[in-house]
Amino acid sequence: MCNACGFPTRPGHWTDAGADNAGDRLRLQMSRAKILNRILAGYGFTARPPGHGPGFALASFTGRTTLLPDLEAVWAEAEKQLGHPLDPLDARFTSAPAPRA
Amino acid sequence: MTRTANDGRLRMTILGGYLGSGKTTWLRHQLFKGAFGHTHILVNEAAETPVDDTLLSAQATGITMLAGGCACCTGKADLIAALRSIIDTRSREHSDNRKIDQIVLETSGLADPAAILSAIREDSVLVHHIRVAEIIVLVDASNAADQLATEHLSRLQIEAADRIIVTKADAVSPPQLATVVATAKQLNPAANIEAAVKGQPFALDDLPDAKPIDLPDLIGDSAPITPTRITIGPDVDWATFSVWLSALLFARGDDLVRVKGVIDTPAGPLLLQTVRKSVQPPELLPPEVTRNENQVVFIGRSYTSQDLQRSLEYFTHA
Repeated sequence: MCNACGFPTRPGHWTDAGADNAGDRLRLQMSRAKILNRILAGYGFTARPPGHGPGFALASFTGRTTLLPDLEAVWAEAEKQLGHPLDPLDARFTSAPAPRA
Repeated sequence: MTRTANDGRLRMTILGGYLGSGKTTWLRHQLFKGAFGHTHILVNEAAETPVDDTLLSAQATGITMLAGGCACCTGKADLIAALRSIIDTRSREHSDNRKIDQIVLETSGLADPAAILSAIREDSVLVHHIRVAEIIVLVDASNAADQLATEHLSRLQIEAADRIIVTKADAVSPPQLATVVATAKQLNPAANIEAAVKGQPFALDDLPDAKPIDLPDLIGDSAPITPTRITIGPDVDWATFSVWLSALLFARGDDLVRVKGVIDTPAGPLLLQTVRKSVQPPELLPPEVTRNENQVVFIGRSYTSQDLQRSLEYFTHA
């Protein structure tokens, strides 16, 4: 646990499974942020690793940035700001062809 | 971080089942056989006057009664307090000399085991000390048909189970028993189904073929839950899959009753299981025991397997 911020509050988030050292966790966090932005982009958000520990900094298109401890918190915060949850089964993800990288 | 069987946390088994499904009888027999080792039993009864503790106290290492409130809702605070006191005592003991190997919680007949599981996971102290190893749900063979037709709760209980035990298996005819087993299997295709009579195992081998009961819609569940299996392609890595699944559970957790599967990661095959919105810490499996790698079963309603596959592809190739 980080002494400065108290995160994570529980033993290892499940998405960190298989990453046994700090380097692997950092690498996973980076890859997760990339994927996370694919779903967030459709809703006007961006996310990046906060740089000092686990979790993400979620920025809305207004520039409002929130530090969040894990993915669940990201979905909850996005839902709070949008008024509805982000749904990966939304038609925009299931019917449109994948955008070019 | 991967948590394995010996991570120092105390094992916990949640024993659920509808009112009168034979939880105490079954548990008593298992304790008598020593099935759970040195066990601290927690008994929750929704009613104010406890009875079950007198039946169980002889074989248990310790017993705590939680009366007057179901542990998944009104009695949640009592449950958390009781569990905290057990782990508090345990952490004062020398690690070579601990009195209990595991906790068994006998829930009240009105409890939703998934809600109890979430309550433990969400508690910042308990999550470090207790690992819910199994949810066992008992189904009363003679009353299951009526209960499942009318009580949403009895379906929730079956949906949350890792292991389903059909009790009073000798009280009904083999075709009736087969119908109950088929119905339970339809509600929760991922669980192992066994049968018992007064706690003794009852063979389910030579049952006649039977169709599941046609369950009417109840408030809250518009469509029947169905299992779908999707194959995770070699181009989907763990980071992609975990972000996608996390989003899916947040948006559709109430419809996605269970997700179960083995996914290949650089660290080895990971066993992944979820119950509604809560994800069990994935376990790394030894490479040689795994079969059906990269196959994930989704059990739920209100989506199609095509949508799942396409959505996952979108996030993989974007």
